[in-house]
Amino acid sequence: MALLELDGVTAGYGAVDALNGISLRVEEGEIVTLLGANGAGKSTTLRTISGLMKPRSGSVRFNGQEIAGASANTIVRLGLSHVPEGRRVFPGLTVRENILLGSSNRSRVPRAELESDLEKAFGIFPDIRKFADAPGWTLSGGQQQMVAVARGLMARPKLLMLDEPSLGLAPIIVQQVFRIIADIRARGTTVLLVEQNAHMALSIADRGYVLETGRLIVEGPPETLLNNEEVRAAYLGGRVAAG
Amino acid sequence: MSNATLIRPAPGSRRSAVAGGMVLAVLAATVAVLPLTVPLSGYVLNMLMQAATYTVAVLGLTVVLGYTGQLSLAQAAFFGIGAYAVALGTVDYGIGFWLSLMLGLVASALAGAVLGLTSLRIGGHYLAMVTIAFQQIVTLVLVNSIEVTHGPDGVSGIARPYLPGLSLANGRAYLTFCIVVLYAVGLAVWHLRRTRLGRAMQAVRDNELAAGVVGVHTYRTKVTAFTISAVLGGLGGALFASGFSYISPDQFSFAESVVFLTMALIGGVQSAFGTAVGTGLLILLPEWLRFLKEIYLAIYGLSVILIMVFMPEGIWGLLERITQIGRSPSAAVTPRPFRLDIPTSGAAEILETRGLAKYFGGLRAVDGVDLKVTRGAVHALIGPNGSGKTTLLNVLSGLYRPTAGSVVLNGRDITLLAPHERCAAGVGRTFQNIRLFRSLSILDNVLVGAQRPGSSVRSEAALRGRAYEALGFVGLAERAAELVGNLPYGHQRLVEIARALAGHPALLLLDEPGAGLNPTEKQDLVGLLHRLKGHGLTIFLIDHDMAMVEQIADHITVLNFGKRIAEGTPRDVLRHPAVMAAYLGEVPGHGAT
Repeated sequence: MALLELDGVTAGYGAVDALNGISLRVEEGEIVTLLGANGAGKSTTLRTISGLMKPRSGSVRFNGQEIAGASANTIVRLGLSHVPEGRRVFPGLTVRENILLGSSNRSRVPRAELESDLEKAFGIFPDIRKFADAPGWTLSGGQQQMVAVARGLMARPKLLMLDEPSLGLAPIIVQQVFRIIADIRARGTTVLLVEQNAHMALSIADRGYVLETGRLIVEGPPETLLNNEEVRAAYLGGRVAAG
Repeated sequence: MSNATLIRPAPGSRRSAVAGGMVLAVLAATVAVLPLTVPLSGYVLNMLMQAATYTVAVLGLTVVLGYTGQLSLAQAAFFGIGAYAVALGTVDYGIGFWLSLMLGLVASALAGAVLGLTSLRIGGHYLAMVTIAFQQIVTLVLVNSIEVTHGPDGVSGIARPYLPGLSLANGRAYLTFCIVVLYAVGLAVWHLRRTRLGRAMQAVRDNELAAGVVGVHTYRTKVTAFTISAVLGGLGGALFASGFSYISPDQFSFAESVVFLTMALIGGVQSAFGTAVGTGLLILLPEWLRFLKEIYLAIYGLSVILIMVFMPEGIWGLLERITQIGRSPSAAVTPRPFRLDIPTSGAAEILETRGLAKYFGGLRAVDGVDLKVTRGAVHALIGPNGSGKTTLLNVLSGLYRPTAGSVVLNGRDITLLAPHERCAAGVGRTFQNIRLFRSLSILDNVLVGAQRPGSSVRSEAALRGRAYEALGFVGLAERAAELVGNLPYGHQRLVEIARALAGHPALLLLDEPGAGLNPTEKQDLVGLLHRLKGHGLTIFLIDHDMAMVEQIADHITVLNFGKRIAEGTPRDVLRHPAVMAAYLGEVPGHGAT
């Protein structure tokens, strides 16, 4: 049984369907990446899975349980954590508080365990450790991105969904983030990754899906996608060979 | 005008708009002459008179709150200033209605402007509190300065005006007069939204920071909004006083200001029509509910709460959403090719900073940076997260005043200029976290950029031409009429670029233009930036994608801990050991394959 399974999911804003019958699955222990152009529906897919948007039709099963239409609050308690794009750091809370908030879905966690998780998060992102007691707004954009990812990890989710974790990060940090994602999986967390940096994403993913205007058009292991001329032309910056 | 012909609505939509307008005009004329032809009881007459005069005052809130986003809780005070001007002018000083009205409007305008001036130092809740304080002062003066205002007894026997050859002493004639004034004011307020000033106001409301950077004089815009709002409050009050011939201070208390605010919010504060609907409803509702006797106030309160809960955008907002009124369909537009109207000659260095520094307390975000940006070049600024890149850009665009050092643009020291003055001097920029005017259409966003101060074009048609050209350049012309919030992240970045381009800047500052774009979209962006360079535009950009930076940058400056650590051509800089250690990591991101 797949950990996450979407079947014929349709969702949208206003009169427009942003997702048009999406079916995908994520097996336990996998890293799966979702590629596609801006506006293809990648973020909408994640929002629909995490309950921020209600699907119009179709089913979403997580760990064997139907979650389509459930509230975001319920879904995160089942062990499905979503790090949305665009940082969303609470400006008035300190970095420590921001990160600790990520554990809100876990009930009755011993203080020491939280502290050790926090310590691990700072171990992953040493650059933000010195800002632990500084309010969120004082951080630079890239540092805020680190806080957002660290917050998602605090949930100790079964499935972690990351929406463009490398956005606005320096190359050296991007490399770290992808190492960390691989490491997160090695420790038993399944990862669904939306990423514009397709080369990086495919370098750590087991499988990838390509979305085009609300539909999945290709699915396969990284080699297949990397060698697909259409995919290369549309999403990887490559050019279709002339003739 | 050649470019006017480019922007025409689809023929069908124009026909239906004209038909709709005619229906509206006929309806309006009928309502206006109705009091003259149909016998009305004194009770109905009074209610209609109250509705008409209140609506004029509430339209002021549409301008200051709905358009400009500034909360004013003193509308009853301005209403009172206008009312007392007419009352005291006609009763005590015998200077006649029209002169009294003029004095009342001048007094309201002055008071409104003063209130607006305080917005230089304070904003948000604090500004709202200042308006409450002003409201209380006016109430206290009206009650206590008995020799002038007659105190709590109020003023009676207020005269109604004469028009040349026409007496308005008759209640029905006067009501018609009020309705005509209301139409004029309503039309003006409705139209204001589509003017330069109206767009500037909405830009301030949606994102004050970005408004300043794209050339809106935010402070002046707010003062203007407060002044207009106060004048409309005064006008409504003057008509009210004359209509009811008796006024007293309790009609202009803080509680009334809250009623005015509720009227605006219930109807839909962003629309002149909504304001009229809300005001009418809140005047009629108590009358309709009168049969409920003791529990009438509870039901009244409950209705207001229910409307606010289920229609947060007001009644009109809901209607607009259902019927799509006011959302013009995409026009059939073929934008002319984009062409930058900027001087391409001048000093070799378009931008120069000397010892530029910005400290936040003990944090030296930018620490003595010397920078020279060559005219016509693409200059990239790179560095680790938190190295001070965005802070430097904020100092360059005037959002921060530097702690030390100077910024020279085109040989002119601009260190102390405000953001909108720098925009006028030719600096355009985009933001790392997109800052668009979210409730405006894509076209209106770009129009705000096009109408920057110091621009060589002024007419609405020319502005639209420029906006469409800029949108065409980034490939979004067909979507111009859509709400900007409906676009995906990457396209919103393009709208920001178009907004900056429409102002025809000489120097464009881009903060991570490639963020959120996939490799293919980045290639398109590289192409776009190359074309811009071909137009003679100087580009100074921050980005983390080295494959992209290497393709477009002529020159790179590397920042770390607020200081410049390397400088030179991409080839040299990207192989610099210090840069690789601090920033690039093991493999420089050489993109494809």
